[in-house]
Amino acid sequence: MPVYTEPMAVFTSMVYQNEYLADGSTDVNAIVRIECSDAGAAGQTGVGDVGEIVIVDTSASMGLVNMQAAKDAAMVAVDTILDGTYVAIIAGNHRAYLAYPRVTSGPGMVRMDPTTRAQAKAAIASFRADGGTAMGSWLMLARSLFRSIPSLVGRHAILLTDGENHNESVTQLDASIRGCLGEFQVDCRGIGVEWQVSEIRKIAQALLGTVDVIPSPRELPGVFRDLITRSMSRGVPDAGLRVWIPQGAQVMFVRQVSPTVEDLTHRGSSVDPLTTVFPTGAWGDESRDYHICVRLPAKAVGTEQLAARVQLATGAAILTQGLVKAKWSADASLTARISPEVAHYTGQTELASAIQEGLSARAEGDDRTATMKLGRAVQLATQTGNAEAANRLARVVDVADAATGTVRLKKNIDKADEMALDTASTRTTRIRG
Amino acid sequence: MTTFDHDTPGVEWRPDAPEATVPLRPARPRFDAYPDACAACGGELGIDGYCQRCGQKAKSLREHYEMAPARWVGGVCDIGVSHARNEDALACQANDRRAVMVVCDGVTTSDDSDLASMAAAHAACDLAWAQDPQGTGTPSSRAAALKALLTSAMTSANEAVVDCTDPESVNAAATTIAMAIVDDRWILAANLGDSRVYWFPDGADPWQVTRDHSLAQDGMDSGAERAEAESSALAHTITKWLGRDAIDLIPNMGVVEISRPGWVIVCSDGLWNYASEAVDLAAVVALCVAEDTTALELASRLVDWANAQGGHDNVTVACARVDPASAEC
Repeated sequence: MPVYTEPMAVFTSMVYQNEYLADGSTDVNAIVRIECSDAGAAGQTGVGDVGEIVIVDTSASMGLVNMQAAKDAAMVAVDTILDGTYVAIIAGNHRAYLAYPRVTSGPGMVRMDPTTRAQAKAAIASFRADGGTAMGSWLMLARSLFRSIPSLVGRHAILLTDGENHNESVTQLDASIRGCLGEFQVDCRGIGVEWQVSEIRKIAQALLGTVDVIPSPRELPGVFRDLITRSMSRGVPDAGLRVWIPQGAQVMFVRQVSPTVEDLTHRGSSVDPLTTVFPTGAWGDESRDYHICVRLPAKAVGTEQLAARVQLATGAAILTQGLVKAKWSADASLTARISPEVAHYTGQTELASAIQEGLSARAEGDDRTATMKLGRAVQLATQTGNAEAANRLARVVDVADAATGTVRLKKNIDKADEMALDTASTRTTRIRG
Repeated sequence: MTTFDHDTPGVEWRPDAPEATVPLRPARPRFDAYPDACAACGGELGIDGYCQRCGQKAKSLREHYEMAPARWVGGVCDIGVSHARNEDALACQANDRRAVMVVCDGVTTSDDSDLASMAAAHAACDLAWAQDPQGTGTPSSRAAALKALLTSAMTSANEAVVDCTDPESVNAAATTIAMAIVDDRWILAANLGDSRVYWFPDGADPWQVTRDHSLAQDGMDSGAERAEAESSALAHTITKWLGRDAIDLIPNMGVVEISRPGWVIVCSDGLWNYASEAVDLAAVVALCVAEDTTALELASRLVDWANAQGGHDNVTVACARVDPASAEC
């Protein structure tokens, strides 16, 4: 009998830290790099089915050009989704409509095959721009559709919008986002410049996805293909970052710092009194860095102890473990060093905040704060070698001296450049060398 | 049986018989295991070697172990604070009348000194424990027989070190040894290198029973003060040791006739580095001892004390409480 072996994802971890603490010191910082290889394709590794939902804004503001681009893009997405994946298409305006499959009850998703793919594309072809925008309702419909297929182990959606969430209050949208936490992942894309980066980022961050601006409708199909391709390459449907700390210790923060900055600190749930699990979503062949800070009760010089066990787990199965250590020492040459990785990502995290705070101050007309924050951002981007951020910043401010962060706000800023700077603010670079 | 006939497609083939070899590394005690529970909080240990509750790094049984063959005899062998490996070793045996205590300190710059010290300590202890020479019955002949026993223990310990030395090694394993046999009214001590035996009688002058083989001791023999001799750069260079390239195996020996109760201490330099003079170490012992302190408790407190002073070296201490008036010894 032939033996068929499934591809098996392999996780490895590396810890970067200075484990030496000066007498009386309590805070341990570490960067934990987790790498996944041989992840396999989503839904094809034998661990269960995956579902993919395409959510398209069909509000009146989309107009003819954007609507046509969105239709083209949604069809490309459908073409890219692998056979066997459960799919649904949502058309959203001030209400949420299940465009495909056209069912009113029961399972709200169907398996992709040549027939259903053609039907899905026919449904997309009938979209026309009309009505307002209520993204919370779109998310809640997606949740219900995913829930209607109990066998799903991986759930991913892409959401396209062009405008503000006019037909829902902030509270309503927030409640919907909360309702979808841990239910599925969403990558969000905004077309044009009439949408709010902060609004869409809120959705993407909570639901473990990405956010980006697409200035030109022509780019949309390519963007959708890339998003679906990446989603389909995530053979590990759901994994959690487990952080164990010793009794009496405290987690100060847990952040993903690469490829993007995402603060996970308040998103953990308790596994046992000493272990918290933070959501990380699906994994493909990729590498992510996490910055962990743990506060310990100070111990005597010479003591060595574990400050944290950082693990990646699917359910109860621990796939890799990194050990964060603490050694108290009287040797200042050991304790004074700062890990280059910790220093780098501390700078990158501050860079992301400086950009977001600077742009937000500018939007509120507070040019003084905006100049100061964006100046600091230019300085940090230069120091940490983040050329992408430096280039984007240069489109929003005139840089007099990057080293000191001396800048002047540009008089005329392309709105798309500003939004691109905002959406890309959380993207980090790896340390050089 | 191999036969040849025309029908076989070939002949049977066997590889050449391997050359007869002797095992290079005979069985040694395995000390790579971990204890059952965390020494700090009693929590369960993770397979990563750290406590699952308090995170304390567990010491392997090679890095820290304790022996207490009798209430009046006990010892602790500990990695200390600064060193990455425990090259000290401890072995002891006791019943209610006799005790054998051995401390070895592997030479850091030699290969496999952690294996060598362990092999030496157990070999010397096993040999001295297995034989109980009585001499012709007179006290002096008994002491002479015990001295002969110490000499053969040195030989046995050296064979054990050589047995676990890789013949290819250009940096042959080496270790010090200090041992004491407490037998009836006698303490017999012997050493090679700078591990020591002290005798701390209650209410009388303490003294160091052994005499180091070290450049520091040579310095003192030439008239230097102890403090000066022991703080020189080469003070810790030993002039005799166990190992394949040992100079000789003639130990320094010391004999004590026990006339009052007291403590016998066998230790590595990880302890005496912080209190070398017998009176100084006796003062530390006095601080660590209460009415009903067991030998193991005293050894443990002395190790903790050395670690609190910095623990710059591995530290091993074996103690025996002797009392000529009691049933014990």
